[in-house]
Amino acid sequence: MPEGIAAILNALPYLLQGSFVTIVVVIGAMALGLVMGVPFAVGQVYGGPIVRRVIGVYVWFFRGVPLLVLLFLFYFGLCSLLDINLSAFTVAIIVLGSISSAYQSQIFRGAILSLPEGQLKAARALGMSDTRAIVFVIIPQALRLSIPAWSNEYSIVLKDSAVTYALGVAEIMARTHFVATRTYQHLPLYLAAGVIYLVLTYLGIKALRMLESGTRIPGYTR
Amino acid sequence: MESEPILVVENIKKAFGSRVILKGVSMAIRRGELKVLIGPSGAGKSTFLQCINFLVTPDAGEIRLEGRPIHHSRKRELYAYRQQVGMIFQDFNLFDHLTALDNVMIGLVRVKGMDRKSARERAMAEIERVGLKEHAGHYPAQLSGGQKQRISIARALAMDPKVMLLDEPTSALDPELIGEVLAVIRDLVANGMTMVMATHQIGFSRAMANEIIFMEDGLIVEQGPPSVILSDARCERTKEFCSKITELYGEAS
Repeated sequence: MPEGIAAILNALPYLLQGSFVTIVVVIGAMALGLVMGVPFAVGQVYGGPIVRRVIGVYVWFFRGVPLLVLLFLFYFGLCSLLDINLSAFTVAIIVLGSISSAYQSQIFRGAILSLPEGQLKAARALGMSDTRAIVFVIIPQALRLSIPAWSNEYSIVLKDSAVTYALGVAEIMARTHFVATRTYQHLPLYLAAGVIYLVLTYLGIKALRMLESGTRIPGYTR
Repeated sequence: MESEPILVVENIKKAFGSRVILKGVSMAIRRGELKVLIGPSGAGKSTFLQCINFLVTPDAGEIRLEGRPIHHSRKRELYAYRQQVGMIFQDFNLFDHLTALDNVMIGLVRVKGMDRKSARERAMAEIERVGLKEHAGHYPAQLSGGQKQRISIARALAMDPKVMLLDEPTSALDPELIGEVLAVIRDLVANGMTMVMATHQIGFSRAMANEIIFMEDGLIVEQGPPSVILSDARCERTKEFCSKITELYGEAS
């Protein structure tokens, strides 16, 4: 066992650098998912039939195809087909972000639909255009309601990011695998990797809890 | 003897699928008048009010404000028209994520394009007018029903409406909170605001309304001055309804 602990301690700086990569991938993917997911949700709730249909197909596709397939499809397939040179790191963010946008759009859609209909009516009655009403009245409320579900999505994206090791992204999993195959200390090293993921999950969810209470509307009990 | 009507609503029809809600309702209101809509639930009062500012799009009919017909399909014209027609809802519909002050300011800033400082001054003036200066920083969830409704009236007033539509403004309130809202509305009448109000507050209507319109089944059954409608209606159905709500909601206002 002492050699196990020694292996962990030796590998730790290297693994922690990997967790930095993981964090950047996850934050990038969540941000991309947010930026795409909000307009998708708005389009699905308020858009015309064609817009709804297109977004519906997008969501169906990215929720339906396995992550690993999408990663290979983009990295080895699309990138060479279109002759663009993207790093594995960039592709990881784009693919995880695109998948997350599909899930996040459904989180926001649910939040928008849970708002009372009167909110939009009251904004319209003031002479607000629908766009302004959505930006200034609907979205600020929907985002607040989305935070609990969003922390769920965070923990899923965090764990999914481990799969990007298959592209060679130097994140936690890839580095752990690399060290483990050289030192044969599989058990302690993968345990360490698991613990790092648990800590990251804990910290992220804690941060979102703080965001949730920080943005809570006074007087609201939920 | 009286001026031209400020708002004319002609032959409004509305159906949701096969359910016909309004079968052709017309109304003309002069500046400073208060018209009260009464009638059983399902009569179409609320749909009628929401048709007047196109929150519900009528299937047929015409609406003219100060003689000008409104084309609701032209967005700019629709938004400009809605600014001139204030709306008060039964369940207030304050924006839950904004303080009372921001609720009143948002229309000034985001619709009228006023700078925040003048908008704040104007909004505070309206909030004082409804007697809630101390509560300007509170969120809707921290206000009582009566206070919420008064803030929603301030929000509408800040837009300088020419006409106000009130859809059962006291129906969602605890009995002891109705008075404070009616007091604000009474104040508006005294200041010459033109209003169409659906309500069951029969005592208030008797004292304040220029005309009471009795609606049932998507049609106006009878209309006239309160003294006539409430005690001397021609139509049996009007009489029956009026005596029932008088019994329920009493004579006092």
